[in-house]
Amino acid sequence: MGDGLKGLPPIASDPHDSSFSHVTGRSEYVDDRPLLKRELICGLVYSPYARANLKSTDFTQALQVPGVVEVVTAKDVVTNTWGTIFQDQPVLASTEVHYAGEVIAVLGAETPEALRMGLAQVKVEWEKLPAILSVDEAVSKKSFIGEERSIARGDVVEALKNSPKRLSGCLKIQGADHFYLESQAAVVYPKEEGQLEVHSSTQHPTETQHVVAKACGVPFKDVVCIAKRLGGGFGGKESQAAPIAAFAALMAKKTGRPARLALSKDDDMVITGKRNPFQISYDVGFNSEGKILAFDAKLFSDGGAYADLSTSIMERAMLHSDNAYFIPHMRVCGQVCRTNYHPHTAFRGFGGPKGVALIESVLEDVARETGKDALDIRKLNCYKPGEDITHYGQKVENNLLPGLFEKLETDSEYRSRREEINSWNQKAIETGGNPRGLSLTAVKFGISFTTRFLNQGNALVIIHTDGSVQVSTGAVEMGQGVNSRIASIVAEEFGLPLSSIRMMPTSTEKNANTSPTAASSGTDINGAAAQKACLEIKKRLAALALKLKDTSKELWPSKTAGLGTAPEIELGKEIETSLTQVAFENCQVMLRDKSFQLKFSDLVREAYLNRISLSEYGHYRIPDLGFDKLKGKGRAFLYYTQGVAASEVELDRDTGEVKVRRVDILMDLGRPINYGLDVGQVTGGFIQGMGWVTTENLVYNQDGFLLSHSPSTYKIPSIQDTPRIFNANLVHNEGNTVNVKSTKAVGEPPLLLCLSVWTAIRDAVMSYQGNKVIPMAIPATSERILRALTPEEFLET
Amino acid sequence: MRDYSLIYLNGVRKEVRGREALLMLADWLRKEEGLTGTKIVCAEGDCGACTVLRAFPQIDNNPLQFEAINSCIATVAQMDGSHLLTVEGIQNGQELSPVQKAMRECHGSQCGYCTPGFVMALTGALEKHQSLDKKTACNYLTGNLCRCTGYQPIIEAAITAKQSEEHSVSKRYLTKDTVADLSHHQKESLLIKSGLITFFAPVTLQEAVQFASENPGFKVLGAATDMGVQTNKGKPLPKHLLSLHLISELYEVRKEDTRISVGARVTLAQLRRAVEKTNPEFAVFLNLFASPQIKNAATLVGNIANASPIGDTLPFLLVSHGKVHVASIEKGSVQKREIAFSELFLDYKKLALKPSEIITHVSFDETCQDQILKIYKVSQRKDLDISTVSGAFLLKTSLQGKDKKIEEARLAYGGVAATPVRLPEAEKALQGKVLDSKLIHEVSELIGKIISPQTDLRGSQTYRKVLAMNLFKKYGREVLHG
Repeated sequence: MGDGLKGLPPIASDPHDSSFSHVTGRSEYVDDRPLLKRELICGLVYSPYARANLKSTDFTQALQVPGVVEVVTAKDVVTNTWGTIFQDQPVLASTEVHYAGEVIAVLGAETPEALRMGLAQVKVEWEKLPAILSVDEAVSKKSFIGEERSIARGDVVEALKNSPKRLSGCLKIQGADHFYLESQAAVVYPKEEGQLEVHSSTQHPTETQHVVAKACGVPFKDVVCIAKRLGGGFGGKESQAAPIAAFAALMAKKTGRPARLALSKDDDMVITGKRNPFQISYDVGFNSEGKILAFDAKLFSDGGAYADLSTSIMERAMLHSDNAYFIPHMRVCGQVCRTNYHPHTAFRGFGGPKGVALIESVLEDVARETGKDALDIRKLNCYKPGEDITHYGQKVENNLLPGLFEKLETDSEYRSRREEINSWNQKAIETGGNPRGLSLTAVKFGISFTTRFLNQGNALVIIHTDGSVQVSTGAVEMGQGVNSRIASIVAEEFGLPLSSIRMMPTSTEKNANTSPTAASSGTDINGAAAQKACLEIKKRLAALALKLKDTSKELWPSKTAGLGTAPEIELGKEIETSLTQVAFENCQVMLRDKSFQLKFSDLVREAYLNRISLSEYGHYRIPDLGFDKLKGKGRAFLYYTQGVAASEVELDRDTGEVKVRRVDILMDLGRPINYGLDVGQVTGGFIQGMGWVTTENLVYNQDGFLLSHSPSTYKIPSIQDTPRIFNANLVHNEGNTVNVKSTKAVGEPPLLLCLSVWTAIRDAVMSYQGNKVIPMAIPATSERILRALTPEEFLET
Repeated sequence: MRDYSLIYLNGVRKEVRGREALLMLADWLRKEEGLTGTKIVCAEGDCGACTVLRAFPQIDNNPLQFEAINSCIATVAQMDGSHLLTVEGIQNGQELSPVQKAMRECHGSQCGYCTPGFVMALTGALEKHQSLDKKTACNYLTGNLCRCTGYQPIIEAAITAKQSEEHSVSKRYLTKDTVADLSHHQKESLLIKSGLITFFAPVTLQEAVQFASENPGFKVLGAATDMGVQTNKGKPLPKHLLSLHLISELYEVRKEDTRISVGARVTLAQLRRAVEKTNPEFAVFLNLFASPQIKNAATLVGNIANASPIGDTLPFLLVSHGKVHVASIEKGSVQKREIAFSELFLDYKKLALKPSEIITHVSFDETCQDQILKIYKVSQRKDLDISTVSGAFLLKTSLQGKDKKIEEARLAYGGVAATPVRLPEAEKALQGKVLDSKLIHEVSELIGKIISPQTDLRGSQTYRKVLAMNLFKKYGREVLHG
């Protein structure tokens, strides 16, 4: 047991706040809303080519199909540019398209059958243009998005020169589709005076509101965007939900009729961007012990046709290229390439998984070169006291990494299994058996948006006079359980059961100027805002309770307010200190000295009658952030979520197929609010990532059109792909006091642990090939694995 | 002649006619019946979000039980004679069912979008087993994708849930009267018209082949696990649809001597149960085939009629002397003939059937004691994936003498040409010889020379070639070393 790390004490594990409606099928998603009379169903016309001139379009025949009502094109868009960071993307393309899937028109019809026939009648004449369909091509043509950025410490050139050992190499990382089960969807209801009510499956209601308003040419005040719940998001609905809602809104505005756009999975996968592909070259210097002395990496990412979030994603990749390891001399340069693919976008982990893939892979190589076990190399280089400043200058505080390595090494029986695998592989080589691999990787994921202004949240807490509570925040519930966690925070503050709290749909009329529910920050910023709101109300209620204690019951507001027979109680200065004397527990409000108590609901009623506000709007900003993007230095994150995972795989030497035999995960999530929800994020994130590094293969044709655009060709993990043995555990850490309730964010970090499956595959391949360094792209598909295992059989004749 | 499809939906009797009857079941449930718990995600039977339960008295599962199917790729008309259950129908009053309760308490739902599908698949499983172990649970859930949970909480829910009498949906819904009503209607032909489309389900083969000859371009609608997908992806339904679901003789699996004969309406699930003893290798292979939802609906004949070069059952049928039995009408009477598998596949998706012929049966050999048969399938994902390459290999060795000469060899592949193929040259190279590693190597090299597969999104030409060679090597090793 390393560093005395202990398992978690028992922690609440209440079911997800929507679980009852989930299991009964009553949870309502956008496309479950009943169709209104006169509502139009929308479909999209998009480019089949990566780049083309739009020579002519003819909707005459389409509009003659009975039931087809209207078409919306670029001409109908008031402000036809949008973009989260750079405003470089048209809502609807008008003269030229820059990716296969770029939308040029929206068709509205009264029935799905009419829509289908109408779409088939749209005539478009395209003139194909040369397109950029690889990072190499983009680099050679200097087709870039944004400037090259660099984060550096020390003198990497000199340190490399002086390193006793060096290695260089390249790493190719493909993208992945989010494959949220609920495809992008929006329903827009036109209201009086040009107002639009937008129901969108969006992770960012505020941006969706803004993009809709600008496209339709109305002020923000006239658009309300509501997101009740999402059937999964994973980053794919952070920026890219907005144009989908705009399409429906433009149709609603033009026709004055409700309009619905619910993409098919095929259209969704063709149109929307993916995880950014990366192409990385690196040079690493180390000594014979395997201590890394210098690391120089150049990262290119494929941003697709438009900027979207790619520059921020690149930044996070650069900030995570150290991962859990201290590297004295380090330089990471990053440049986003502009190509002619769908604009790539946020996906759980943002750039993090790419940076971490790089360094974890390099450590495997260093192990081969030094003849040591990769775990020893990792432990040697791990951040520890004295070696705890990152390449961007932030100190790794509350650092549990060394202990996590030690504990998982023991818990997963790493050493004895390594021995077994070594002898197993020896036999496999001799007898033609299947090689096995084992690898233990880490994650240190920075929590906070790297863009400072996004680190704010707001929440509206309303107590009704029966003592029940409604909470609205900027956080969007997409399965991760953010609403459940915030409900728990509020329930605990008021001393009420969860059943007294109702989380309301996220809506821009209650919570405006919000940040996307992204960067794992949902609970951190919105939960903290809700807690602040609760505290303000509690101060008032506590002050009233103190007054009531000294007031004869006959003079209480409930006895006197109606007829006005007694003066109102004035709260006075006691509000500021009231909370020190009063506790909220078990539906009671009581003085801490037990001299007085009353029911929460009774106190609430008295407060209302005494004209004390029972609502509060809380605003929270993450303190102490100071990352200078131009210098690449400063405190980028409030804290780090850390974890380790050990994965064992077996490769079929005849087919290249992978079987994941065992996975052990150990994470530090601080003091979780809800154990079940957190562990669900851990297993879910891990398996989602496992798909990215193994079976999920995006295949495009020569026109840049995605061929694997449905689950028959794009294979996310099924239940049969899950590890035969799968242990996910949390350690006990009360030390993350900088965050709300001492929790740690969990959404993205566990995904990065999936890289242990990929490095285990590499381990097996390299072990089979006499411990030579053998590169492996992501995903490690069966074909790539078989090629690596038996390259001689793939020599083209 | 009926003009409506008769179904029971969550216990309520429905006669569905015209346009509504030709909607996909999931669309009908969501849009016409307002039952939006059933979700549509992929619209191609690959994700299970649309899973509903179906009890169909014609299928031989004694006692009659609910089985999971995908509702997104079947028309309402095809559901004629079924009792259908959606997620809205499984609660017992206000109380959650054991599956719902376990899914809720084990955190089996996150975003909730796949949840109704999982709940239904598990409810179906618990109708057959009182409780589930991990392996069984996973097998029942192969056809359901979840992107949130990593499946662990769902597995936990599956092994936690215990069936009880009062929660059995079969007990609650499959009453004597209901089943009698459904069965009674299966004795009357069905004709549904909507716009230009005619859906005809006769009760005799004679009427079926008559319809076929009168309506060129007709299509037999089996489970529609392929046609339904194409319709969802924008291809309109064919104008003349023929369903054989009211012809009771087509539901039989018969053993005649050493031949197994399978009717056109026999589902893959039914087939797997039927061939467990006669063709154990094939039965095991059928476990890897598609999802439970697909197997509960799709037929063996459908897999053949679809004529895909990567149909999973085809290599097996090629090495097992498979034959299709077809019928047509000539001068007012039913004419039957057989086509051997070796003659069946003309080109990519093209079979040696005359335009008005329909497949009524398929037959194949029982697997004998002296035959070593193995069936392989390689795909990017192990389960519920279309194969990159598949193979079936059969060796018959003489039982006398200790050197065990190969009397006969049959090797068949899918995914290495425009049609599934046998490899006579490679078979000949094995005949009369004794299998050893040298021979395995030689034959696999030969296989690599004979075949010329294509590159597509599932794999490159070279990968397919190496796979084809390696599958034979794997087979050889397994034969030699057990």
